Amino acid sequence: MSLLVRDLAFRYRDFELRIPDLALESAGLTAIVGPNGAGKTTFLKCLGGLLPVPRGAVRLDGRDLAALNEPERARLLAFVPQEHSASFNYTVLDFVLMGRTAYLPLFAPPSAEDVRIAEEALVFVGCAAFAARPHFQLSSGERRLILIARALAQRTGVLILDEPTTFLDPRHETEVMEIARKLAVEERKTVLMTLHNLDMAVRYADTMVFMKQGGLVAHGRPGEILTEELLARVYDIPMRLLEFEGRTFILR
Amino acid sequence: MPGRKKGLTIFLLILPFLVFLFSLYIGTTPISPSLLFKTLLSPLVSSWKASLPESVYDIVFAIRLPRLLLALAVGAALSVSGAALQALFKNPLVNEYILGISSGAAFGAALSFVVLGSRVPPQILAFVFAVLAVGLVLLIARRSDSPIVSILLTGVIVSAFFSALLSLVEYFASPYSLQALFFWLMGNLWKAGWTDLAISLPIIGAGVAVLVLMRWRFNVLSMSDEEARSLGVRIRREKLIVLATATLITAAATAVAGIIGWIGLIVPHLVRMIVGVDNRRVLPLSAALGATVLLIADDIARSLASFEVPVGIFTSIIGIPLFIILLRRAAKVWR
Repeated sequence: MSLLVRDLAFRYRDFELRIPDLALESAGLTAIVGPNGAGKTTFLKCLGGLLPVPRGAVRLDGRDLAALNEPERARLLAFVPQEHSASFNYTVLDFVLMGRTAYLPLFAPPSAEDVRIAEEALVFVGCAAFAARPHFQLSSGERRLILIARALAQRTGVLILDEPTTFLDPRHETEVMEIARKLAVEERKTVLMTLHNLDMAVRYADTMVFMKQGGLVAHGRPGEILTEELLARVYDIPMRLLEFEGRTFILR
Repeated sequence: MPGRKKGLTIFLLILPFLVFLFSLYIGTTPISPSLLFKTLLSPLVSSWKASLPESVYDIVFAIRLPRLLLALAVGAALSVSGAALQALFKNPLVNEYILGISSGAAFGAALSFVVLGSRVPPQILAFVFAVLAVGLVLLIARRSDSPIVSILLTGVIVSAFFSALLSLVEYFASPYSLQALFFWLMGNLWKAGWTDLAISLPIIGAGVAVLVLMRWRFNVLSMSDEEARSLGVRIRREKLIVLATATLITAAATAVAGIIGWIGLIVPHLVRMIVGVDNRRVLPLSAALGATVLLIADDIARSLASFEVPVGIFTSIIGIPLFIILLRRAAKVWR
């Protein structure tokens, strides 16, 4: 599913987000990087429909995001928040089932088919064994996977993840990135995420988008656009690129 | 669902009917079970009706039956709206009166007792002001960045305002109307008759049905508003449906029964401790257990002494210590 952004502007107090033109490829992983306060999360929330976007600014397979209602949007695009704090201790399966909301009328509880889809999503993120566990007992890495499973249960073409690897240990970080990669390649989803770990972005992303002060600095394939000069311009500190065993690492 | 949980669920669902039958038997006039059985079926079997003492027929059909039906309805209404609002406000400590319903109803009843006297039933003004109080809360809270916090805070403020108005009315009230008012405020079901039921039962029945049908939705509604919206909930619309329904049934219950505290807080909580937090079970079981608890509390209220003790006092005296005990074990279910 293609995601097109044209002349997207969002203003909040004295912060202004401006994305003149950006096309996200289908079946690809896009990583948005940039310093804190660059507007990455704001941009994601605009794309996820959590913040209001002007008419015509974001198009999903040609459909105007601003013209969709909540259930329509949630069937096309899923948003994975960075953290989740709940007041009630649902089991993991009940939690993932909430991903089926957009398909269920107000008075309908989920069907056996919905349960099957939720279980499938749990299998995909490798958490099938947790289904009956209360989700307060999960570690933050497991919780992140469950949030992804819930988004998968939405069965959307676009998946948006807000800093999915922050605060995770290296193993879980890699696990999340492998899953995101698999979703883009095998399930042919349009995957979009914000990242702080540049090495991960370079390694896993098909496209990198550099943001600073609410605007786009550069976007394209990591191998083509990544330079020491660009990194210095975006982050305001000197960084070095290092080639090691065929992979690119960023040193600072 | 494990077998034990399923068994408990079924047991809790049929419990109100068992307690209902048992409660018909309880009262100041002893009626033997066989006579009670005959009386209950007498509208169907015409030959039985002739053989019954008229007083027994009246006690069962004019006094006990409407009262028990009302206890069932009020208990279910308070518990279900408590459970619904707790999910909606993502806070297990919210109760069904949080939006100013009780103080609005109290003021309405007081106004009715003092201004209109005993000719007009206090239920009408109690209901009107209960709905008015919630309307005021929602209207004030509408223009705000954080609606949840502001609805709760506005609820406290509007409650305080109506409490002040209540004091003002009480200050000018005659001792006779004050006595009637205090009895009403304590919450009781003794005046229940078929006319009360004819108005409140349909409202409560329909409202409880809407909330119970929505049961699974409350899982999603208990997520943050932003999360619920991204999952596909039309948050404004669904929130309004829940608030309006919960208000309507609580106001209808409060108008006929007075203020019966703690049921809406404790019953959903007990249910969560027994079967977990999934609202698919919490909503219907809250209705069943709420009806059961109020039936039992009312049984105690009317059989403990030779005179009637307002049931609202009981629910609070039993409810508060129970709640303190529950609170210590609560971390398993919510935080």
